[in-house]
Amino acid sequence: MGENVSQLKWPDEGVTRAPYRVLADPEIYAEEQRKIFRGPTWHYLCLDAELPEAGSYRTTYIGETPVIVTRDKDGAIHGLVNRCSHKGALVCVDAGGKKNQLTCLYHAWSFNLQGDLVGVPFHKGVNGQGGMPETFEYANHGLEKLRVESYCGLVFGTFSHHVEPLEQYIGPAMTAHMRRVFHKPVEVIGYYHQTLDNNWKLYMENSRDPYHATILHAFYATFKLNRLTMDGGITIEHDGWNTMNFSIGASLKEGGEYEKAGLRNVVEDVGLAGPELLHRTQEFEDGITVAIQSIFPTCVNQQIYNTLAIRQLTPQGPNKCELHWTVFGYKDDTPELRQMRLMQANLIGPAGYVSIDDGVIGEYVQRGVGGTGVDASAVMEMGGSAVESARGSRATEATLRGFWTGYRALMGL
Amino acid sequence: MMNEAQRRLIDDLQARYIRAIDDDRIEDWPGLFTEQCLYRIITRENLDAGMLLPLMECRGQGMLADRITGLRKINVYEPHRYTHQQSGLVVESFDGTTAVCRSSYLVVRTMGNGAMSIFSTGVYLDKIELSATGAKFIERIVVQDSRTVGTLLVIPL
Ligand code: FES
Ligand SMILES: [Fe+2]
Repeated sequence: MGENVSQLKWPDEGVTRAPYRVLADPEIYAEEQRKIFRGPTWHYLCLDAELPEAGSYRTTYIGETPVIVTRDKDGAIHGLVNRCSHKGALVCVDAGGKKNQLTCLYHAWSFNLQGDLVGVPFHKGVNGQGGMPETFEYANHGLEKLRVESYCGLVFGTFSHHVEPLEQYIGPAMTAHMRRVFHKPVEVIGYYHQTLDNNWKLYMENSRDPYHATILHAFYATFKLNRLTMDGGITIEHDGWNTMNFSIGASLKEGGEYEKAGLRNVVEDVGLAGPELLHRTQEFEDGITVAIQSIFPTCVNQQIYNTLAIRQLTPQGPNKCELHWTVFGYKDDTPELRQMRLMQANLIGPAGYVSIDDGVIGEYVQRGVGGTGVDASAVMEMGGSAVESARGSRATEATLRGFWTGYRALMGL
Repeated sequence: MMNEAQRRLIDDLQARYIRAIDDDRIEDWPGLFTEQCLYRIITRENLDAGMLLPLMECRGQGMLADRITGLRKINVYEPHRYTHQQSGLVVESFDGTTAVCRSSYLVVRTMGNGAMSIFSTGVYLDKIELSATGAKFIERIVVQDSRTVGTLLVIPL
């Protein structure tokens, strides 16, 4: 089980329980930074499409660690800790751009796009005095380098030298879905950022949870966009670390079971005075209309009708996190399709008809678990206790049990 | 050149916009817009990058009304109120019927439990139709300075 500074004992019921203490304890949070975020896990950093040319860079985070992603002159992508090797200042302070080299503002140490130290002002001193000692080796003072791999144009990084290659980590059932979405060049159409006053794990649970989707999100049910009575399922990969839940809009099942059951088809216009909001088109042959894929620990690949986005969560303390949405379309989108995506953006993000509800629900849990005794735990027995894929039923919490399986393995709990 | 009466119509429209939201009379809000209006909330981050991804976008009064349906009947959120402050309103152009205006706004959000925060600041970019009967927004683009939204955005800014 490994060392465990928090002295937490996981309930005997296993992953059908999650102790509330892991949502608020600062010691556990600090341990997560080390064992999960700097541990044997892959973290989404950016899209390949956001680094279009030599010198392109983006800044992001792995856990609380600031990170720079660069593309060098040979086209290779590098992940670097955004912390100057001199005195620790951020080297890049903006969201991204293009630079030939990375120069720290504080004392202007400069680094090439691979992160190697290439310049120290006055390193020979001034007027023969001062300067760096002879023993100072540039080679020992580059930026801390991450291991970086891409899959389907998604760039991931890790601090671990031991974690399996990215494709293997994501797993075959999950990479198949990624190939489905990233089957042609994508183009970012905008970003959202949303601060949530709750522990990061509450959002990651929420994104995996098909049980809440059609209950909490009344917009889905009201406008028949997603219902448990639709065909769908959950997919489990890597012991549940990575999961997906998906549904197939009934509009594709005309004459099928859905109608025979006497249930109403997906009718876009019911109750909407501005029905153009829901104008949409079937982009994928498999008919899946809502698919939420979660890669442990903090990456979500989202399709809600024609809105496509990668969501990345960055923890900011035990009770706070920030959600970053990178919304994209395809390079070859027609103007009509692009307009459709922009209009459907009303469903997602911090002000989305569907996702508004997720903003507050984690906070309600965070506040609800305040003051609980050490033994109180969440209960996740929907669909039993197994962590297995299921086709048809989404009345299950197997995907959440999968999250906690990964969490326990890494935390030694 | 705009006469004083026309300028007063603009000021009155701006004030009624704030009253509709801050006094929780949001049902009055769509009526301040023309039938074919555009209402968009967008972050400075997206706008400056030439990306039109909106936080919220309503084309036509129907979509304004749908946002009210959303916040009254569909969406889940902790009850809260806004207080707007608006300043620096400048009429940038006026062709006799359409005025282009720009002003700054600040919204303080007060939650049900008493927690207060500066929720959003930015600029209003307006196109306003002036007629003998009054003024209406043809377009209001809300450009939020911050790229980040705290928790959620459900009441229009
Ligand atoms: S801290 Fe970066 S150069 Fe000194
Ligand atoms: Fe949700």
